[in-house]
Amino acid sequence: MLKTIKRYLHDFFEVYAREFKMIFHDQGLILFLTFLPLGYPIIYSLIYNPELVREVKMVVVDNDRTSSSREFIREMDATQNTHIIGYAADMTEARRAMDSHECFGIMEVPDGFGRAIGSGEQAQAVMYCDMSLLLRYRGFLVSATDVAMNMGAQIQAADINDIAPLATTLSTGDFLPIRNVAMGDITSGFDSFIMPGVLILILQQCLILAIGMAGGAKHERPSLVGYNPVNQSPSVMMSMLGQMACYLTLIILPLIFLVHYVPLIFHFPMAGDTLQELAFLLPLVLASICLGFCIQGIVWERETIFVIWVATSIAFLFLSGLTWPRYAMTGVWRVLSDIVPASWGVEGFIRMNSNGANLDQVTTDYRNLWILTGAYFILAYLVQRFAVKPYLRKRWIALHQS
Amino acid sequence: MCDNYEKRGFGAIALRSLRQIVHRPIYWLGIFILPLFIMFLLCDMMQEGLPIKVPAAIVDKDGSSLSREISNNLAGMQMVDVADTYDSYTGARHAMQKGEIYGFFMIPEDFQRDLLSGRKPVITFYTNMTYFVPASLLFKTFKASALYTKAGVTMTVLESVGASAIQVTPLLLPVNVSERGIGNPWLNYGIYLCNSFIPCTLQLMIMLITCFSLGQEIKYGTSRKLLGMADGSILKALTAKLLPQTVIWTVIAIFMESWLFKWNHFPMHGSWFWMTLSEMMFVLACQGFALFIFGIFPNLRLSLSVSALLGILSFSIAAFSFPVESMYGAIEIFSYILPIRYNFLIYIDQALNGREIFYSRIWYVAYIIFMLVPFLLIPRVKKAMQKGVYVP
Repeated sequence: MLKTIKRYLHDFFEVYAREFKMIFHDQGLILFLTFLPLGYPIIYSLIYNPELVREVKMVVVDNDRTSSSREFIREMDATQNTHIIGYAADMTEARRAMDSHECFGIMEVPDGFGRAIGSGEQAQAVMYCDMSLLLRYRGFLVSATDVAMNMGAQIQAADINDIAPLATTLSTGDFLPIRNVAMGDITSGFDSFIMPGVLILILQQCLILAIGMAGGAKHERPSLVGYNPVNQSPSVMMSMLGQMACYLTLIILPLIFLVHYVPLIFHFPMAGDTLQELAFLLPLVLASICLGFCIQGIVWERETIFVIWVATSIAFLFLSGLTWPRYAMTGVWRVLSDIVPASWGVEGFIRMNSNGANLDQVTTDYRNLWILTGAYFILAYLVQRFAVKPYLRKRWIALHQS
Repeated sequence: MCDNYEKRGFGAIALRSLRQIVHRPIYWLGIFILPLFIMFLLCDMMQEGLPIKVPAAIVDKDGSSLSREISNNLAGMQMVDVADTYDSYTGARHAMQKGEIYGFFMIPEDFQRDLLSGRKPVITFYTNMTYFVPASLLFKTFKASALYTKAGVTMTVLESVGASAIQVTPLLLPVNVSERGIGNPWLNYGIYLCNSFIPCTLQLMIMLITCFSLGQEIKYGTSRKLLGMADGSILKALTAKLLPQTVIWTVIAIFMESWLFKWNHFPMHGSWFWMTLSEMMFVLACQGFALFIFGIFPNLRLSLSVSALLGILSFSIAAFSFPVESMYGAIEIFSYILPIRYNFLIYIDQALNGREIFYSRIWYVAYIIFMLVPFLLIPRVKKAMQKGVYVP
């Protein structure tokens, strides 16, 4: 009994040490386990780091030319989202400016704008927006709404006094203030919105890519770093556990960097407790490692992992619910989303990191991550036992006979 | 591989290249399955246009007839699905942290009494901005609800002191800006994302497959045979090798164009001719770009690493969501070295806005530059193919 345990432990540490040796002799693997989790998030965060879309260019067609219309345009220009680059004589000229990519919106103030304000009617203006990028459109919309509301409130207060001097409650300023509070990503910045989720996707993908490539490397050269699959020992189970321990060891530093230092450097929301976040991400790491072992079943050479796996990042990004929320997903996509570790990881991590949830508030995600870990472990065992090991053995024997 | 040493010439190389594609499942996966799967995933997932019925909650601390009326109105709106009513802020915040709701609308204590006596109660709504799209929809709905409430109260008070409805109506919204979203007035999220992400996936796969197929020749030492079959002409070897792929990619690109604009009825306000030409040139530009990368790193692993890195970064740097003019200058310039950027700009000009071709002419020239630059490095590729030894 004691002897068996001793043998298992010996096997475990042998695999653990051997895997380390293999990884440190392989540039590609080192790149996947260092540059990918350390450099990639920095590049990514830098792209979106300006966070907000400000001063989007707009052209004005003012057919009214009154002090009211000019005030309206001035107010538009003064908002942080819109920048009025100039006046156009008519819609044709404005259209030409938009077609030549000089501006992304046109504000048309029709004749009678000022008269309508003066005579207590509703003043109308029309805003045409380029819809290629929704963030630009959103900026215009926020500016226009704010300006219309502010100008409206001033006119309202003045006019109510004229119509009904008795309605004093209404005329003394805003009688029902409306406030909006942005939670989680309190500045509504784009970087702070997308990056916490992307960090988790990077974590999952870097583990799967590295393990897939390691599998390819072993397929190509089974004798790599003293790997001898002809021996029955180490068993598949011990071999998997040893490798898992090795990757877990290697990912600890990048993991801390991803969940703590990247948000710290780029001022992302950091409302969560780092230790709890690390505890939450443990099953994500384990499930990703096991998924990597499963993928080893179809990676016959080291470079194929690029073709097989890189594009899946896009699928996982959408399945994670970061852009298109999970509640709106239909049937098969929902199921696919459910079986990807990063989907639960992204959801739970964002709520912990940005909304300040505790581990006990993300129990559904946490439990599902552990279930996935278990399921992928069993699947990985089957793949390793019945596909990877027999193949490696055949290759090894063939190579050693020749 | 499936070499036939007897045969030489353009046709023989092209046939050999085609055989490799047919015989190796990895090409099937990379050329057909992955791009088409992602295309189908994006189009089908977002076919509703907007993720309506956002789970939300109401915190009603007042419990008066007015607050109940506001709650009922809010619950009846198309965009929200009022999942629950809480009586405290803490309860709603916990629900948000648990992911049950994306935002909540709070009516303060003694709301009705304060409002009618002019003590200016504040309506506050909270949106979880960590999910941009549902939060924006909630923001819009909550804001509209609050404004309706305000308008209703104004109307009641003014009419009670004797103003007529004709006088009151313009007062509710003295300045009105109506917005016209050109090309996508429905704010359809599918139109916005599919038209950029699907071609970008295609670019990624074209780059990977081009570098993979060339790198394999060097890795397995078959590149010398390839050159031999082309009578030592690198141009002939590369053209014949890549031509079958070009044909397949072009078919896929045109299939994608038809899928999006014809069968999914995405806005197509310009001419089919220019869009189709753009897709065809895009395929060649991507291959040219990949060949350029392979020229710099004529090695399977390095060229694939660089292609993967650039291919994935393209989704962000090509500025599909965050505009280039808002990026840092040092990053902005990188968006212009990617073929997908021009595909996206042509799509905006031609399909979405239906502009004259005159305004897009530069983008087509950019495609041609991508096709030409690899010629600078062709001698390098030849050298690698002659000598190339695989370094593991």
